[in-house]
Amino acid sequence: MENEQATFYITQFIGKSLRIHTSDGRVFGGQLKCTDRDRNIILALTHEYRAPSAEAIKKTIEESGNTKATVTWNSRYVGLVVVPGEHITKIEFEESLMPGQKSSVAL
Amino acid sequence: MEPRIVDITEKFTAACKGLDIGQLVKDEYFTLFESIGAVEIMDPQMDSGFLQPGETLEDDYDPLTPILPEELIGIMDQLLCYEMAWHTGSPLSQTLFTSIHIDRLLWPEPKTLEEAQFYRGKIEDDRRPGVLLEVLRAYCLALVKGCDFVIAKITSRDYFEEEDFCTNTYNRVLFVQIPPDVFQRELDAAIELIEESAEIDESLRDAIITRLNFRKSLLTALDIEMPLDMNFPLDLDRPYSLLSSTWSPVADSLPHIITTHELAKPVTDAFSTKVQRRLASTVPPRPIVQFEFTKALEALKLLCVDCQEATRFLQIPHDPIEYLSFLWAFASRDPTPLTYSRSYLGAIMFSSDIIQAPGALPFEDLRSFVFTENSAILDPSLRALSPPLNPRLPKPPGLQLVEILDTFVDRAIPPYFDLWVALGQNKCRLRRMLTHVIHAWDALQRDAEAADAKLKIVCEAMGIGHELMENPLTTWVYIKKLWMIEKVILLGFEQEIHHPDEYAGMYFFLAQIASKRGMALIECLHLLHGTQSSYPKPPSRPPPSIPPQSDLSTQDPPPSESTAPTSEPTEPPAAEPISPPFTTEDFPLLKIQPYPTSSSTTTPSQSSNGQTPTPQTTYLLTLLCRATATCALASALHTFYATLRRIDLLPNPHHALGTPQSRQEARMKPFLTLTPEEVPRDIHRGCLLRPWGPYDERSDVFGDEFDVNSPLWDTFDAYMEVGRRSWGEVKQAGAQGGKAKGSEIAWKKEIDDLYVTFEVLRRGLERLRAASSIREPRCAPGDSMDLEVDWKRGGHTDGRENEGWLVARVGRVFFVEADGTRHLANNVMVWDGECFVEGDLGWMNL
Repeated sequence: MENEQATFYITQFIGKSLRIHTSDGRVFGGQLKCTDRDRNIILALTHEYRAPSAEAIKKTIEESGNTKATVTWNSRYVGLVVVPGEHITKIEFEESLMPGQKSSVAL
Repeated sequence: MEPRIVDITEKFTAACKGLDIGQLVKDEYFTLFESIGAVEIMDPQMDSGFLQPGETLEDDYDPLTPILPEELIGIMDQLLCYEMAWHTGSPLSQTLFTSIHIDRLLWPEPKTLEEAQFYRGKIEDDRRPGVLLEVLRAYCLALVKGCDFVIAKITSRDYFEEEDFCTNTYNRVLFVQIPPDVFQRELDAAIELIEESAEIDESLRDAIITRLNFRKSLLTALDIEMPLDMNFPLDLDRPYSLLSSTWSPVADSLPHIITTHELAKPVTDAFSTKVQRRLASTVPPRPIVQFEFTKALEALKLLCVDCQEATRFLQIPHDPIEYLSFLWAFASRDPTPLTYSRSYLGAIMFSSDIIQAPGALPFEDLRSFVFTENSAILDPSLRALSPPLNPRLPKPPGLQLVEILDTFVDRAIPPYFDLWVALGQNKCRLRRMLTHVIHAWDALQRDAEAADAKLKIVCEAMGIGHELMENPLTTWVYIKKLWMIEKVILLGFEQEIHHPDEYAGMYFFLAQIASKRGMALIECLHLLHGTQSSYPKPPSRPPPSIPPQSDLSTQDPPPSESTAPTSEPTEPPAAEPISPPFTTEDFPLLKIQPYPTSSSTTTPSQSSNGQTPTPQTTYLLTLLCRATATCALASALHTFYATLRRIDLLPNPHHALGTPQSRQEARMKPFLTLTPEEVPRDIHRGCLLRPWGPYDERSDVFGDEFDVNSPLWDTFDAYMEVGRRSWGEVKQAGAQGGKAKGSEIAWKKEIDDLYVTFEVLRRGLERLRAASSIREPRCAPGDSMDLEVDWKRGGHTDGRENEGWLVARVGRVFFVEADGTRHLANNVMVWDGECFVEGDLGWMNL
């Protein structure tokens, strides 16, 4: 991608909600503040989400007897974070649109 | 409206690759500075959610695990240890918040108290917590509410986070909204539960009930809503509505907790550092603070004793000077009161019961120094005067007088209470804050000068000029300011800020300040006693507002005094052809005998003309005696250290980067901008630090002085005599005379301590003198003196008898024969006629 095009593409996500998955299985949801060539990402107002452990899932299923039972993810507020590019496994863009509203981002 | 989630990993990554090296795509308001505060994910040093391989986030311990009664006591005692560790400065995250039980109660945040359980939501009946867990829950709830009260009390006062106390609750809410009586009911229910459960062993049940009752009384004592009023009607619903009685039940339950602690069985699994991962914290888990049970109980006892003492503030006489004595005594308590105790006193002293009107206390303080009891200047009828109807006409002089005084008192309120605030801090902070308060008072002094000038005109117009002393307001401010400077210097000694080679200079400075304060007090006494006073008229002193140029010339100890005027024939050192550079010239106060020497019966409690002096006169006389004693002792110590320094008995450290000038500047920095100038200006000669001139220039000046017939010894004797006698007068006037009735125990201790200081110094001087008698004349200073200074620090018997008064102990050095050679044995010392040798097992008496 050309520099100009790349800059345009990234700039439209600034201030938007992203979900960053990291290599240890956590997900960080927050607003994009800054990024660079190494894909280091700074998120503001971030919450950390962690998948429940296998044991916790097993326990819930055993207790409820239902293999479709819901197990909640652990979450906590972490604020401003830097996620180093090397640890990022997946980036998701999250958008809430009113019916009929057009997306402000050209994906 | 449905949130849409799109995977943009590939395109985003590609776009990033298209960026230049060093190019940032960022929010235009986002700065590099802000980014420094960001937590780096996956960095084990910063990311509190980062798990080591194989590490689990959750704890294995289930808080619903049934516990034994012994284990319940163990957990309760452990929680108490953590609570006290928190009180002594550790953060909650490393203490109480490591408890899994407390974590479950507080997170997820309960909306009602019923929700605050060791589980959330519905639970099968067979897993419901048993009696012991219910009791633990009640205990934990009350404990958490107590922490909430502590934080509320401390944050309502001045405190220094991290230095004093950690108030961070890591986004956990400590039942802020729930009133304390709910917790009391939970505890009552828990006590009932325990009493009914017959299967628990009697002694264990007793221990548990003791702990629950302790928690009840502590929660009552910590209650921030507790009324202060001593006459508050005894409320039957709140059995301890009298403030001063709230702490004794807490203290009384401690011995039983200590004796039953042996029953406790620790449950280490119930505490985990992993809880910290779920706190709103930016640091990874840190180790749990280990605080021993005995240490915790000591801290708790200290808390009870100090808070109990603080409640006495309501009972002491309503007098600003009594309050100040009490505050000073409280700040000097040993061991230092905990942050909570200091905040507790702060809440009491700034309550409306004490400060009924903000100006009342400063005004009363001012009056007791510079206006007589029934002075026409303070005639209350002047307040009834009304201003003329026509605003262009001048106001009646009486009304002007009232306005001048009121304006000044209003102006004095902030610096006055700044001093109170400073006294509520920890001791190091107190010293630093005092240096700032001094500057506020310095500014106040300039305003006082303007008010004094107006006051003089108005009083003369009213024909009551004779009742007005010269510059009353300025004098009052000046006395207070000098007192604070003295305290800063003494605190500097106490906190080991000064190096031994600076002691001489600092005590010199202290003596000068005390001397100036004494002179100002004498002026106040003259007002009270009129012209027929038996108190010596002070030598004419320039008003404090003008930098005393003439004083300075005499304050500077000239190094070559052969041409200096020797105006004091009574002072032997000055009469010598070559005089040592210290003379009583520097301390005019010491030339004045506060009491006629012929009449030994005259004391502050008995004035010389037979009349019983007013409390005001007694107080001022006591202050004068204190100033004199301070001045005399400081002069003696100044001379003592200068002498020791001169004969190389003090450590002479090599300051690689400092010069005497730069060090003096550093020591004097807080006082350099004061008006009138308090620091001798000639700092370049370093005269304060080196009163004999440069030590490395071994001139003969000193060699002549230091022999057994030297007038130096007479100087010492004179200083000691004046000091001891003045201090005797202070003692005779009693705590009441010195307006320290409310802190009499501390007052007595101070009196006794200073006598010990005098005694230690006297012995040191004797030894020095004895050594000088056997010294061969004309040898280099320090050679063959056979003396050594005991320079050990720490402990209470090392010359640190009183705050700020450091006396090095001087002993003889022995020559011993060992291995056929003669050694200078530093570790042999004669003390009080007994010989001590330092061996492997410490000092031994031979």
